[in-house]
Amino acid sequence: MNSRIELKLPSQMAFLGVPDAVLLELGSDLDCPRQVLEELGTAVIEACTNAMEHGNGLEEANAVEIHIEMHEGRLEVLVLDQGPGFDVDSWQPAEDIMRERGRGILIMREFTDRLDFDRAPDGRFRVRLVKNLDGAS
Amino acid sequence: MKIKERRRDGVAILDISGKIMGGPDAEAFNEVLRTLMHEGVHNVLVNLERVKWVNSTGLGILISGYTTLQRAGGELKLLKVTERIENIFIVSKLSTVFQSFDDEDEAVRSFA
Repeated sequence: MNSRIELKLPSQMAFLGVPDAVLLELGSDLDCPRQVLEELGTAVIEACTNAMEHGNGLEEANAVEIHIEMHEGRLEVLVLDQGPGFDVDSWQPAEDIMRERGRGILIMREFTDRLDFDRAPDGRFRVRLVKNLDGAS
Repeated sequence: MKIKERRRDGVAILDISGKIMGGPDAEAFNEVLRTLMHEGVHNVLVNLERVKWVNSTGLGILISGYTTLQRAGGELKLLKVTERIENIFIVSKLSTVFQSFDDEDEAVRSFA
């Protein structure tokens, strides 16, 4: 099974739940624990939050593209935005536990088996989130 | 996000449904807290039973509320946190900050 679904969302927070709903729907036919889908969905929501806010500046006309790829034993999700991205290598988790922002990357890392940031060939910033369907990391 | 408010023994219980994700949600939540504090209510129990998900911006709303109430001499506690949301609190270490309860009676008594 190698299938791919593409979603294109306006950069409005109201649409953040769409990829999560799609993942849960797809997962209902996959042999994997619901927690695996919820964790991936949570990570994708974070990626889309960053893409809409920081990448596209919440400009509705700037779309966030989400590609969901189903492979044997794993799901891969690509999130693409129009923004400048950020320096992944210099990222460090903030130490102030009561900070009100800055947990997105931490949540993405914790809830995926692999997380990569790069640029697509067309220049868009791209996040790749990979989750093993058996729940093993 | 939708917020329904009720009171028990001087505690405001906020039954939240939908998603907590920042933007207008932050203003709505802060407005409810402002009104409660204006009325002298500083102890708030946030019921997350019907919340589908929270993102990192939504966590910021709860942290802001926690801090605001604490500074006013009150407390913000959580009720019926779903497993999905609890996992987010665990990885972000916020489970060490927020007191959370499964039983509403016990939660209300804890403010006494």
